[in-house]
Amino acid sequence: MRTKKEAIAGWLFAMPVVLGFIIFTLGPMLASLVLSFTDYRVLIQPKFVGFDNYTNLFSGLDPFFYKSLLVTSYYVVLSVPAQLIFAFSIALIMNRDIKFRALFRSIYYLPSIVPAVAISMIWLWLLNPDLGLVNSLLKSAGLPTSLWIFSEKTVIPSLVFMSLWTTGGTMVIFLAGLQGIPRHLYEAVEIDGGNSLQSFTHVTLPMMSPTIFFNLVMGFIGGFQSFTSAYIMTQGGPNNASLFYVFYLYREAFTFQKMGSASAIAWVLFVIISILTVLVFRSSNMWVYYEGEAKN
Amino acid sequence: MKRRIALFLALVMVLGILFSACGAAGPATSAAPASVKPAESALATPAPKQPVTLKFTYWGSPIEKDAVVKTMANFQKKYPYITVDAQHIPADYETKITTMVAGNTAPDIAYLGEGLAFPWAEEGKIYNILEFLDKDTELKKESFLSNIWYDWAPGKSIGTNTAVEAFAIFYNKELTEKAGVTVPITADTAWTWEQFVEAAQKLTIDGNGKNALDSAFDSKNIKQYGVQFGTWWAGWLWAVYSNGGDYLNADGTEFTLTKPEAVEAIQKMSDLINKYHVCPSPIQSKALPAPTVSLQSKQVAMSIDGQWCLLDLGAADFKFGVGVLPKLKTSITLVLGSPTVIFKSTKYPEEAWLLYKWLANPESSIDLQAGGLWMPLLKDWYTKPELISKWAENNAAHPDGYKDAIMKQTMTNGVPGPSYTIKNFAKIDAIVGAALEQVWLGEKTAKEALDGIADKVKPELKGRYGK
Repeated sequence: MRTKKEAIAGWLFAMPVVLGFIIFTLGPMLASLVLSFTDYRVLIQPKFVGFDNYTNLFSGLDPFFYKSLLVTSYYVVLSVPAQLIFAFSIALIMNRDIKFRALFRSIYYLPSIVPAVAISMIWLWLLNPDLGLVNSLLKSAGLPTSLWIFSEKTVIPSLVFMSLWTTGGTMVIFLAGLQGIPRHLYEAVEIDGGNSLQSFTHVTLPMMSPTIFFNLVMGFIGGFQSFTSAYIMTQGGPNNASLFYVFYLYREAFTFQKMGSASAIAWVLFVIISILTVLVFRSSNMWVYYEGEAKN
Repeated sequence: MKRRIALFLALVMVLGILFSACGAAGPATSAAPASVKPAESALATPAPKQPVTLKFTYWGSPIEKDAVVKTMANFQKKYPYITVDAQHIPADYETKITTMVAGNTAPDIAYLGEGLAFPWAEEGKIYNILEFLDKDTELKKESFLSNIWYDWAPGKSIGTNTAVEAFAIFYNKELTEKAGVTVPITADTAWTWEQFVEAAQKLTIDGNGKNALDSAFDSKNIKQYGVQFGTWWAGWLWAVYSNGGDYLNADGTEFTLTKPEAVEAIQKMSDLINKYHVCPSPIQSKALPAPTVSLQSKQVAMSIDGQWCLLDLGAADFKFGVGVLPKLKTSITLVLGSPTVIFKSTKYPEEAWLLYKWLANPESSIDLQAGGLWMPLLKDWYTKPELISKWAENNAAHPDGYKDAIMKQTMTNGVPGPSYTIKNFAKIDAIVGAALEQVWLGEKTAKEALDGIADKVKPELKGRYGK
């Protein structure tokens, strides 16, 4: 009797989240799935067109689909490892007993609380090939300069470089993970005469693998959804070299008014991300270590 | 089992993140299409004096907003039974209005980009303004300029621009006088391309004070550019028109920017940047302030821009002038803007029409006209001296020469931009604009870039409106 009451109360307390999910996430998702099979332009009654939206994309009839897929994948492949390594390294340093540790932690986290629009504007100035600070520094050091976000070849690497600046959130998660590693493991390495490299590869890395795994998954989902830098800094240019998938989706929906086709584009992304998530999860058996698990 | 659950949870998470990130798209795509009731008798007047509230949405700078608020107050003074709920939407206008319309809260009357207005009009969601004009006793279609109408089919029109805009040269007078350059103001004295390039060379000055005609000119160290233009379609399309080219052929079935006259014009624009070094590249432009400020701060001597920049120029403290665009074959100007529309879903078409007329009357928005942001829609304001004097002369925003270089040019040689007629223009322009970025950067010739996209543009050609 009591457990039943508790169960009801439990569900009631969980209702805001459950309802929120159903009404604001699941509902719109299903609606967009239906709309992805229609020609829908908001004011105009959706017309059922079967798989037309999808065949338009995959047959290459839409001139932007493959380009944007390529651009986004390139960004993900570059940005995810770069961000992980960068954030992990900073977290390692921040985990050491250095002077002004709290101050440095705040400084490295700070860019993450600056609105993305402001960040984009700042970097637009920093990366300006003629007047920007970055090129000025390179020039004064006698190094070759770059066109950064203004050239097809360098725009994606530039955006990746820029994204490292806002990995504060990832860094904090790594830091929390590092602090959760029991000291006695390091002591064991010390007693056995292991050096710091060995304690890193045999204690830190395995113990951190769930955290790395989490950040990896979040990283590539976030990477596939990059939008702001393309929207504000490059408008997808030059020559579509930074036409991020979500920006392309947004433009299809709100500039070209093709909601049906935009829904199809969203679902393709959803499937891609789902498949990749499953793959990463499958692979996790091989490299993610949970405490208490027996591992050979 | 645990892993299954974990996998499921992860998928749900992905799902959630994915769709919350696309939050902007979510509500709009999920909402059922507005079930708009067509007003049965469009012009049936509700009993007068019954209080009526009209919802009006518009965009624009703070200055435009102030002027709109003021004119709305005057409108309500004249028609006390009408209240105007004027909503200023400064950013993401199309996204917001799409959502409003999808959510069944469409405004009665609104500014609307032609990219949205045309498809909605075709679906019968927007009033044919000619229906109102036919019955109106004060205004006739002929009272308006003829080159500013958005017709979606013969005899069916969304209406005219909210205000008229046209392209011209704006320059810093001190700089042209110092270089001994006189910018022509009438169509028959317009510069040929060679004269224009020479003037721009005289006005481009490097760090050592040498101009671009000097053999010792250092194109890597330019202090003052001779000319500047924006690389969006209006920034170069006037040159194509002037050279006898067009974006598409007459019935909109063929992409004609690949024709020699269009290619030549675009290449000439690119040469200003990449061959003569008299114009900042898109990269260099990013380092410059807004065009009007560049003129004032002497970083640019001449700017090819829309006449709306008079608003800022008039408020700035320096001597500036206006001139006609150079010509390749014929002297023209590009006319552009976007319409104000009345939604079919309005309950008060009669009152909406009163407001439409009010906005179309230069008298009621005289601050915007005299301030330089807008040009009048009505012909009389271009021909009758007593009306012209109310806006186009004796104020800071309209210098000598304005009447010839812009006002007359708009009326007699104004060619409407492609968005007046071309279907699916936003998408076509997205393809063309991206390709031309390589041209402005000097990486490809105009011919290479345009030939390269001809096949991509082809499936997007859907004809022209008004045929």
